[in-house]
Amino acid sequence: MLSKFVSRDTLKGYLYLAPALAVILFFFLGGFLIAFVQSLGYFPVIGMEEFTLKYYKEVFQNPEFLESLQYTLHISFISTAIATVFGTALAYFFLKTTPHNPLFHFIHKVPIAVPHLVAALMIVFILSQGGIISRLFVKVGWITETADFPAIFYTQNAIGIILIYIWKEVPFVTLMVYTVMKNIHTKLGEAAATLKASQLQVFCHVILPLSMPSIVSASAIIFAFSFGAFEIPFLLGATYPKTLPVWAYLNFISVDLSARPLAMVINMLVSLVCTVLIFIYYLSMRKYLRKWS
Amino acid sequence: MKNLKTLRAIINLMILMVIVVPFLVLVVWSFSQGWPTNALFPKEWGLRGWSYLFSPESKMLSSIATSTLISLTVTVLAILLSIPAGKALGVYEFKGKKVVEIIVLAPLIIPTITVGMGIQIVFIRYGLTDTLLGVILVHLPIVLPYGIRIFASSYKAMGIKWEEQAQVLKAKPWQRFWYATLPFLYPGIISAGVLMFNVSFSQYFLTYLIGGGKILTLPILLFPFVNSGDRVIASGLGLVIVAVSVAFMVIVEKIISSPEQETNFYYL
Amino acid sequence: MKIMRLGIIISLIIGLLLTGCSNSSNKTSAGNITNPIEKSWETILDEAKGTTVSFYGWGGDELTNSWIDNYVAQNMQELYGIKVNRVPMGPDEYLNKLLGEKQAGKAKGTIDLLWINGENFRTARQADLLWGPFAEDLPNFQKYVDQDALDIAYDFGYPVEGYEVPWGKAQFVFAYDSAKIQNPPKSSAELLAWVKENPGRFTYPELPDFTGSVFVRHLMYELCGGYESFPYTEEVDKTAMETQLEPLWDYFTDMKSYLWREGTTYPATISALHQLFQDGEVDITMTYIPALMSSMIEQGLVPDTVRTYVWDKGTIGNTHFLAIPFNAPNREAAKVLADFLLSPAAQLSKYEPVNWGDLIALDVSKLESESVAKLESMDQGVATLSSEELQSHSLPEIASGYIPVIEELWKKRVVQNAK
Repeated sequence: MLSKFVSRDTLKGYLYLAPALAVILFFFLGGFLIAFVQSLGYFPVIGMEEFTLKYYKEVFQNPEFLESLQYTLHISFISTAIATVFGTALAYFFLKTTPHNPLFHFIHKVPIAVPHLVAALMIVFILSQGGIISRLFVKVGWITETADFPAIFYTQNAIGIILIYIWKEVPFVTLMVYTVMKNIHTKLGEAAATLKASQLQVFCHVILPLSMPSIVSASAIIFAFSFGAFEIPFLLGATYPKTLPVWAYLNFISVDLSARPLAMVINMLVSLVCTVLIFIYYLSMRKYLRKWS
Repeated sequence: MKNLKTLRAIINLMILMVIVVPFLVLVVWSFSQGWPTNALFPKEWGLRGWSYLFSPESKMLSSIATSTLISLTVTVLAILLSIPAGKALGVYEFKGKKVVEIIVLAPLIIPTITVGMGIQIVFIRYGLTDTLLGVILVHLPIVLPYGIRIFASSYKAMGIKWEEQAQVLKAKPWQRFWYATLPFLYPGIISAGVLMFNVSFSQYFLTYLIGGGKILTLPILLFPFVNSGDRVIASGLGLVIVAVSVAFMVIVEKIISSPEQETNFYYL
Repeated sequence: MKIMRLGIIISLIIGLLLTGCSNSSNKTSAGNITNPIEKSWETILDEAKGTTVSFYGWGGDELTNSWIDNYVAQNMQELYGIKVNRVPMGPDEYLNKLLGEKQAGKAKGTIDLLWINGENFRTARQADLLWGPFAEDLPNFQKYVDQDALDIAYDFGYPVEGYEVPWGKAQFVFAYDSAKIQNPPKSSAELLAWVKENPGRFTYPELPDFTGSVFVRHLMYELCGGYESFPYTEEVDKTAMETQLEPLWDYFTDMKSYLWREGTTYPATISALHQLFQDGEVDITMTYIPALMSSMIEQGLVPDTVRTYVWDKGTIGNTHFLAIPFNAPNREAAKVLADFLLSPAAQLSKYEPVNWGDLIALDVSKLESESVAKLESMDQGVATLSSEELQSHSLPEIASGYIPVIEELWKKRVVQNAK
């Protein structure tokens, strides 16, 4: 009966997708929707049953919102841009140079296995004012005391946080882009070589455009991650402003339950801004993405 | 030509430095006892951090077990769920595919904090907070997109020719999958497995929110020490965490897969 | 079409999840119905035997953690056959968890005993998150605690009414390295002068950090009329408070640019400040634990020339307590653990600086003579002030209702610099 209306492929497709989709719908989008409903002030368990936009208004009117948004964007834009460029360059570098040294290939993947918390710890030890480099500078005599070393943690410039993200994310981008570049290289590299194209020409006209889809999705993934990340800015961010996720969390754990809708409003704005920016990014990159298919 | 070679060597060396030096600093810290201001090296060395970590009260060993159990379960479940889902997206054309593709992407784009804060109340209601099951369930959707997208690429690259050919040979469905499809999926399974394990293994926020501090994974254990600034213990624990997840990568890439096999299949 | 399908799926989920949630609100939680039945202490010990008790509290201090995990856990196992499971979770998080459980109608929670005080206790009581009263059920509370003492009958001005039992006492002290500073500043005026002479060498933890918050109250006492000017009230008037604290804002405005990093940022926690002190980035740190510096010297974390001091007009002391949540799954074991923590043996062990150095919550005049002797013979460490000096410089806390208001105003006036 059903097959009259629905094609075999559709049926099979949904059958295969059902379990994974159910998990994502229930445990992920479900959570998102509850957050959304609570952001509208609907929180029946504590007797708030009216839908209202007043919490959105409250957040928008708070001067902290724009500063917080700016701080969050500052961190994720810079870290994503640098990680993407470096990651892509490294992928190409590996493609062209590295002999098949498995140990080397393995080592460059290690940061992916390092949790952000541990990465933060290491980079603080090295680059903070009490860190190794600062101590080294004092020893050498470039600065007289460690306090003269530029401050990059707990600051509004957030350089420390950005560096932690870059350290973690460059290998991730490299790995994704390298996979694709290697594939292109084996398939097209020889053809291009027989055409006597220069290295630069091959890179600019073949390898880079064809790797674009993976570069775009890698950078979108790390952007979304750093935009919505909590631990690192919570531990190493400035006193003011906080990033949006940290601000949301502080409202969430407030023992005053009426602050909870505010936390959810901030959450919604984080998700919205992130989704819109990634959407715009994909649209602007569309012409490169088409070449793939 | 020679210049180029030196340049390559320098770049390689720099990459190694940037990756390896931080670990060395961690090692030094974990064995330090007193490290006065402005001193380049610790004044005294000691095992305070390590002896605390290996004493039962640190709960390090049990956390290693909990973390590994959670992340392994999440990874295996996610692979089982994402192979068929990847096949559907990689092979079949059907109505609503675009929508499904967007839904599958959602966990990569929507921050996990949003979802965690939203779903906590439901998990409390159904008794899933403070349980292993709850933590596993909340990790699953976070890692699924990686698996689904990698397997979709695998299937797209392979097509269904092989399975069809096997069908002609009258192979049973499981035989078709086991002998014809699985070898093709192998690099994807390795890559997706490593990626998903790491994402789950280093997850702090969701584990904390849903596990309620009771499900003690390694990042949960580490956080207070990073926060309170006991650098000696934090360093030791950090090294242990990295050792466990690198060990997992080594086991998967070097032991489970055969050396000739290409294991880089990070098509996301 | 696609959008419609998506819409249907989404509304289905919303429906499912929300009906799930709202059903729960009708259920009454069992924790509220059962009365604290009169049980003999023997019955309680009997019922608690062989069970596990979950003890939730701030877990950022290795010394404290070790003491609970070793001394307390071992004794509880040997004396009562109870397993102690310490869960490191601060008050903000556990209160939120309990609130969530209360809303969701979860009658059987996971927390048996809480380490709590001050504004958190007030919040917990106001939201009806605690079970009790239980204090009088504990033999050691009856025997050794001065129940009428102001700092035990009231927690930051909020009546305790048997919903918590005192576990320890803290008194705020400053710390400095005597090799670097001869005369540390002992009043708000001296501090300001010192900070101006030594720019960049002083800071305090950002509020709402517990220690940062109490530091600000010291300035408030000196600049805005002493603790008597902040009597207990149910509802704190924010605007009136802001005006009343005007001298405090002026003080901070004056001081800000001479702070560490010109006051653009503050260490997020007290531990972060200790770290700066250890790294020599600042010259003064502060703590609620008078014996902390002695034990840090012992561990080689700070030079042995570090000393602590109090201000001439005194420093704030307070009591920290233990409480049982409304949905504690194992109340009996929670009582046994609380009683053990109040025993003279445990209190003395806790008082030793190598173990923790936390002040005793018991009435010393009620202790047996051998305990008193042991107490007097105890070496509190080179950097610890004598208990006479601490006691003679002890100032009371103000009502906890003020504290969130002060913290909010601090953020507005000092950090955001807005009026």
